[in-house]
Amino acid sequence: MTDEQNLVKELVGMSTLEQTRAIRELTMSFEEKKNIRWIINGTKALAVVQKWLCQFFRRCSYTMRSARQALELWHGIMKEIGGKFGTSVLTYFLFLKWLLLFNIFSFVVNFSFITVPLLVYGPNITSNVSFRGLELLTGAGYFTHTVMYYGAYSNETLRHGVEYNLQLAYFFTIVVYMVLCGIALTFSMASSFKKNFVLVDPASTSAWQLLCSWDFSLTGEKTVTQRKNNLRESLSEKAQQKLLTLREKLKHSGIHLGSWLVSTALVAGCASSFSLQQEAETLLVPFVVSLMNLVIPLFFSLFNKFEHYSNNRSQIYSQVVRNVLLRMSILGVLCYHWMNEVSQRESFLCWESMVGQALYRLVIVDFLFLMLGSFFGEFLRNVIGTKLHRRLGPPEFDVARNVLDLIYAQTLAWIGLYFSPLLPSIQILKFFILFYLKKVSLTQNCQPPCRTGRAAQMQTIFIFLLFIPFYVGAISIVGYTAWSLNPSQNCGPFRGLDRSFSVVELWMAGLQTLPGSGWAVWIFENIIKSEIFYFLITLIILAITYVFYQLIQGRKMLIDLLKQRIVNEGKDKSFLLDKLQNLQKSRPKKDTKHGRVCYQTFSL
Amino acid sequence: MGNKQTTFTEEQLEAYQVMLESEEQRLHGRFRELAPHLVPLDYTNNPDVKVPLTLIVTMPELKENPFRERIVETFSEDGQGNLSFNDFVDMFSALCEASPRELKTIYAFKIYDFNRDNFICKEDMDKTLNKLTKGELTAEEVALVCNKAIEEADLDGDSKLSFADFENMISKAPDFLSNFHIRI
Repeated sequence: MTDEQNLVKELVGMSTLEQTRAIRELTMSFEEKKNIRWIINGTKALAVVQKWLCQFFRRCSYTMRSARQALELWHGIMKEIGGKFGTSVLTYFLFLKWLLLFNIFSFVVNFSFITVPLLVYGPNITSNVSFRGLELLTGAGYFTHTVMYYGAYSNETLRHGVEYNLQLAYFFTIVVYMVLCGIALTFSMASSFKKNFVLVDPASTSAWQLLCSWDFSLTGEKTVTQRKNNLRESLSEKAQQKLLTLREKLKHSGIHLGSWLVSTALVAGCASSFSLQQEAETLLVPFVVSLMNLVIPLFFSLFNKFEHYSNNRSQIYSQVVRNVLLRMSILGVLCYHWMNEVSQRESFLCWESMVGQALYRLVIVDFLFLMLGSFFGEFLRNVIGTKLHRRLGPPEFDVARNVLDLIYAQTLAWIGLYFSPLLPSIQILKFFILFYLKKVSLTQNCQPPCRTGRAAQMQTIFIFLLFIPFYVGAISIVGYTAWSLNPSQNCGPFRGLDRSFSVVELWMAGLQTLPGSGWAVWIFENIIKSEIFYFLITLIILAITYVFYQLIQGRKMLIDLLKQRIVNEGKDKSFLLDKLQNLQKSRPKKDTKHGRVCYQTFSL
Repeated sequence: MGNKQTTFTEEQLEAYQVMLESEEQRLHGRFRELAPHLVPLDYTNNPDVKVPLTLIVTMPELKENPFRERIVETFSEDGQGNLSFNDFVDMFSALCEASPRELKTIYAFKIYDFNRDNFICKEDMDKTLNKLTKGELTAEEVALVCNKAIEEADLDGDSKLSFADFENMISKAPDFLSNFHIRI
């Protein structure tokens, strides 16, 4: 910076009076002083304009952000539900909204990349079946040859100025969407886990209950009274807790074991009853599946009444695990049937469309049963609780069961994505209607929950559940279909190929002729297709995990050491305070004389 | 909190400000609703108007809250619960969703500190517990629960919770942020 610039910088910082005085004292000619004054005014004006611009942009971003918040879907309804029923019920609705966003994204992507090119430029699909209303329920009939299912998509490459390979588009759209879902789920699960599990201290339950557990956003009088009663009951229970004798402990464990055995037997029985089914393509199968999903959990809650749990959370967890087991086994049997038997059957022209229709039926019947379940579980139960058996009272909103229903519905959509690309549209409608239905049912029929479980931890568990059994299962099914099964010869975008994945291999073979794309082919041949790459990646990930684990152990030791140090410092502090007090007690007269002398010196 | 310096990052301050700037009109409307004869429509001259505690606790968001008087007292300048419009805005922005964790911890500590000695001692815990359970627990149960709570959270062994102890406990309670939140 030159001398002039330094001078200007100095002068700009001063007030106007000081500035004029400083400029007057400069040893420069009049012209130069005028120049300096002109530069200073310019800099000041620039600074003002900059500040104004900054503020303007900040205001714009604030208004945009607040407009976004106001337009946010269902913002007012969520606030109302949170205020009347608390945060744990709100987690269900937030979860529903999150899943709805997944489906909207999927529908938009599928529609624009797969369906629109086919509709606009592709070959016309003629269908000689007229539309009857029953198609909405069965998915067959008129819908069979529409773009709803896999069968209608062609395997051509459109050439209208740009080349658009429909086969590749179909394959990559589905795969990329599933991978993006997986990434979103992983990140959400990891951040939720870090926030709600790792940092939680399980030892401080009493302090937590007193100072952190009260939900300040509750506004309903009944809710608040009920929460106070529950807190009081839980505290007095804790205060009176006695240790269980050995005999009682054995009894409790025996009951637990018994109910687990019976639950597992029930689940196995349901699953095996499916393999005895001969005709699996009618409306009967989805009906039976949904009926089982509705009725068997009632048995589980019956067992729950006999069991004794030490805290609320393990009760919810055991119920959730049993429900998950039931649904996974039923879905597993169905998928096995589809993959192994339906795909090999020669009588079908298009087995993927058949599977797509079966999944469509499952989704629709599941929706009907959800509505029925809401009717029976909440409306009728409310009528019974308030009119007939007044002691029972209105029902509570069972968050765990409802969230599991949502996860199951989303899994069906994920599995069905490959076989019926427009299934997310049905899912969007379903979730939309379900939101309003549950909201009305909640406000009319249910009472706020009695026990305030730790909502944040429950949310983590739900996301974890969504990911590990259900999403991983869905993507394995899709992966297995794409990798190992033979596509139908007469329909769909992969007709004539040995397996769906061959479309990528063919594309890679075609790329080899193009100059400049050698690196893509090299990556495909040596990395994606080679086994040693995955082996190395697994080893590296395991090593990194082990290093992080050791880091965590080290940090835990450090925390313990620091806690001990705080305790020691506290002891030191009280020791020193005691010593000071003793010292003051032993020399009182000298101190007062000293004090008076000090006061006299100050007043002088 | 004279003995603790807190600093906020730029993003936290910005998020805090989002609520203030875009909702000031609405808050002014709510403030005026409480005492239309006291609060003028025109705030450009920054009139010195304070709404008393008795009127503020009639707000539907605060009416059923067991800590409503403590909350209003904490945010009032004179400590008696008379809020000016600035205090009113401060209160709801500290308790809103976007408010940073450190801010909520500071105010939660002030709210629970009934005797304002910068420590949550046993008497403060007793009063908290009585407010939460409508005073229907026996004296022994109250004593037992409060002793256990202080034992769990007290790190330096002086049988009362300083701000550091409180902050440490809050940092391990992920539910705190979503619980300590009033929607307006």
